[in-house]
Amino acid sequence: MDNSSDGSIVSSGEFLTFTLGREEYGIDILKVQEIRGYETPTRIANAPAFIKGVINLRGVIVPIVDLRIKFNLGEPTYDQFTVVIILNIGKRVVGIVVDGVSDVIQLSPGNLRPAPEFGSALDTRYILGLGTLDERMIIVVDIEQLMSSQEMALVEAAAA
Amino acid sequence: MTVDMSQFYQVFFDEAGEHLANMESLLLDLDVEAPDLEDLNAIFRAAHSIKGGSGTFGFTDMTSVTHILETLLDKLRKQELALRPEMVDAFLAAGDVLRAQLEHHQGGPEADPDSIQAVCATLESLATGGPAASPAESAPADTGTGPGAAAGPVRELAVSFDLPAEVAGDPAAVANLVDGFCETVACDVLARPSAEAPRFRAHVTTTFADAELRDLLAFYADAGTIAIEPAGAAAAIQDDSFGLFDDAPGVPVGAAEDDGFGFFDSAPGAPAQAAPPEDAGFGFFDAAPGAPAAEAADDSFGLFDDAPGKPEFSHATPVKPGDSPAAIEAEGYGLFIDAPAGMGLFPGAPGSRTAAAAAAPAASNFGRRASDQPSVEVAKGGRRETDKTVTSASAEASSIRVSVDKVDQLINLVGELVITQAMIADAAGYLDPIQAEKLISGIDLLARNTRDLQESVMSIRMLPMSMVFSRFPRVVRDLAGKLNKQVDLKTVGENTELDKSLIEKITDPLTHLIRNSLDHGLETPDRRVAAGKPAKGTITLKASHQGGNIVIEVLDDGAGLNRERILAKAREKGMNVHDGMSDGEVWQLIMAPGFSTAEVVTDVSGRGVGMDVVKKNIEGLGGRVELESSPGHGTRIAIRLPLTLAILDGMSVGVDGDVFIVPLTAIVESLQPQADDIKTMAGNSRVIHIRGEYLPIIPLTKVFGEPEPAAFDNGIIVVVESEEGKAALFVDALLGQHQVVIKSLEANYRKVPGISGATIMGDGNVALILDIAAVTRIGLDHPAKRMAA
Repeated sequence: MDNSSDGSIVSSGEFLTFTLGREEYGIDILKVQEIRGYETPTRIANAPAFIKGVINLRGVIVPIVDLRIKFNLGEPTYDQFTVVIILNIGKRVVGIVVDGVSDVIQLSPGNLRPAPEFGSALDTRYILGLGTLDERMIIVVDIEQLMSSQEMALVEAAAA
Repeated sequence: MTVDMSQFYQVFFDEAGEHLANMESLLLDLDVEAPDLEDLNAIFRAAHSIKGGSGTFGFTDMTSVTHILETLLDKLRKQELALRPEMVDAFLAAGDVLRAQLEHHQGGPEADPDSIQAVCATLESLATGGPAASPAESAPADTGTGPGAAAGPVRELAVSFDLPAEVAGDPAAVANLVDGFCETVACDVLARPSAEAPRFRAHVTTTFADAELRDLLAFYADAGTIAIEPAGAAAAIQDDSFGLFDDAPGVPVGAAEDDGFGFFDSAPGAPAQAAPPEDAGFGFFDAAPGAPAAEAADDSFGLFDDAPGKPEFSHATPVKPGDSPAAIEAEGYGLFIDAPAGMGLFPGAPGSRTAAAAAAPAASNFGRRASDQPSVEVAKGGRRETDKTVTSASAEASSIRVSVDKVDQLINLVGELVITQAMIADAAGYLDPIQAEKLISGIDLLARNTRDLQESVMSIRMLPMSMVFSRFPRVVRDLAGKLNKQVDLKTVGENTELDKSLIEKITDPLTHLIRNSLDHGLETPDRRVAAGKPAKGTITLKASHQGGNIVIEVLDDGAGLNRERILAKAREKGMNVHDGMSDGEVWQLIMAPGFSTAEVVTDVSGRGVGMDVVKKNIEGLGGRVELESSPGHGTRIAIRLPLTLAILDGMSVGVDGDVFIVPLTAIVESLQPQADDIKTMAGNSRVIHIRGEYLPIIPLTKVFGEPEPAAFDNGIIVVVESEEGKAALFVDALLGQHQVVIKSLEANYRKVPGISGATIMGDGNVALILDIAAVTRIGLDHPAKRMAA
């Protein structure tokens, strides 16, 4: 927990879990605006591969990030089951592509175990902890920190 | 240049109403014990905006009230005075008065002149006499608070200084200076300077410390010639009866102290001694023997003129020039001297009671004495007002104010509707036209209606810049008259369309900038001539689209910014500055809150409000303010606003399956290239020969990091022109021409090189709008420029 940022410790205790490949992730439900099917975004030139482009969400231009590409998890296939989670990060609206949304679960901070440090694609800075539900391990991500980070290339370098 | 200002009155009424409401709510929430500086600033800004707007439209009655309001607020926010509950009351009362005046201008009943003057006097007494209300200083007039006292107490001083010969020789300049000086401190001019006798002598009543006064005067004259001496109390009484309770024994003013008068000449036996020392402010009483001044006290207001034998007269008319000797004093009060800035509350010369009476109901050109033809002005003001009353009454009925959010929502919903309609039309295309004849004709109708609806909704938001620009000739003219400057106002690009919300929000900043340019930028005619420039200065207002931004520029050919003075002032303010700062950084300093290099606070500018507000407002719109200045040649201030919701005429082009929008304004022509016209240059660069010109070919695919097309014969060349010059964009196909609503990519994503924004096409997909200048830069592949792009 030491590595997580102080301000964003989740308070609701409710997490939306989704799958990326065979891993299960959880994010604070309060950051989620909506869940929708995948539609082909408009490509943006010179953007990193995990930024699929932008879509029109009822008149708002929303960038779409494919977390599977970002974290090298599973095959980035796009079919009718591919899901986009629209997130509200600060004042921004961002969509993430995941393999599927599974559940909304309750996790108290006590159920979270710190994630071990090692050089994975997902920096432990952005992991709030590992939660256990039945036999499943849920990687609880500080999605706000992650999406605002430099490496997601979603925000202007100078502005960050 | 004649502009019908009445079309903008409604805007001002709405804005002023908002500012008033805002001010009131802030005041009501204000913690008197520990006022939040930010709140005070916000209240000040609201008052300042009302003043600016009312000045623009010639509602000078409101201008004068807000100016007084602002003076006190300014002291509060600079923490020269501590907030007291009665100040909040006075502010609220001032807000009520302003609202009444506003209603009057909108065709309502006339505002009560008594309450206006009551409020003004209270505010002024709080602003100037505030410190005098503390117990130790409750009767300063006859003792003449010691000259050694620190800043704060009201002191009476004899001030004299020499004017530079070239200024003293010019009567207009002298009048300007004297008026300006009298507006800043209450003063009674004893000797006006002239070419023969350049010494200016005045009797001054002020709360300024000597040093402050010297600083102030240094603006007018050589510091070495300034002399400040405490004036004898006796002399003060003789000279102007200023601030004295000129009472005869036995005057029953005992009840008058309710609301505070600071200056009592407590003659033996006068009940005035009973005045509670904590009373706010001061009062000017001239109670003739036996006059029941007591009745007048309720209103906490400054000027009484009670004639004997008029017991029924309480406070109906504070000053009736010519009515009694007191009228002469009204003239003598430095506070009420009609300054050029519209401060004067009593336009009537002594004895011209009718003049005052006539001017008051007209309520228009109060105190604009300094302008060259006051009579013409007044007449004009009066007539305008009646015109406007009629138009505003109808304007009120024909427009409603809707929140921008609702309009945005409407636009987005209509956008969705258009997309849905396109989908239905698409699906209906598969139906048998004979069987589904009715359905198909219905869908056609729907298509037409949807298009009309979309156009109407779009047009709600867009307004030409002339909406803003046409306000300014009046502002410039009036100000130029006040400041004795000659100005030519030029406007360029009035037809540039701008989103309504932006129009509304840049009006105030632009007004500030223009006032600044006029006041600080342009020199007086004689100085201009001395500098070898035409006597008439030029201010240019320019609006244009540039690289996906809207740029609004205010250019003047004045003196430019003074680097040394800005740095010195910044140091004085304790800001972190050093000599090695670039000009650009130095210019940015003037946009710091409270920063003003002007020595004298005038009605026009110099309070240091303005540039910081301008910056704040512009940045709030996601734009930025750029300053360029060259000493002696002028200043250019550019407001660069992103195209958040502007509409653009664009050509959609297809490139490798993607759709891009090329702004129509950038397109010169488009053509199908002949293989012969395309030549190679240095191996891999290609140029096209079009009517004697060789233009570089930029394949759009290359710009966006894709491989270049193998051949150039199967596509379209779009010739574009930008600040980077002409270029030939190579695309796969032209798809059509659209009016597109520009959406910001940066709101949720980031800036993309070569792209100025995004839009939503009829099919619901997003298309990116090209920034032609950046595309050209990238396409021509100057490595350095590519980094910048």
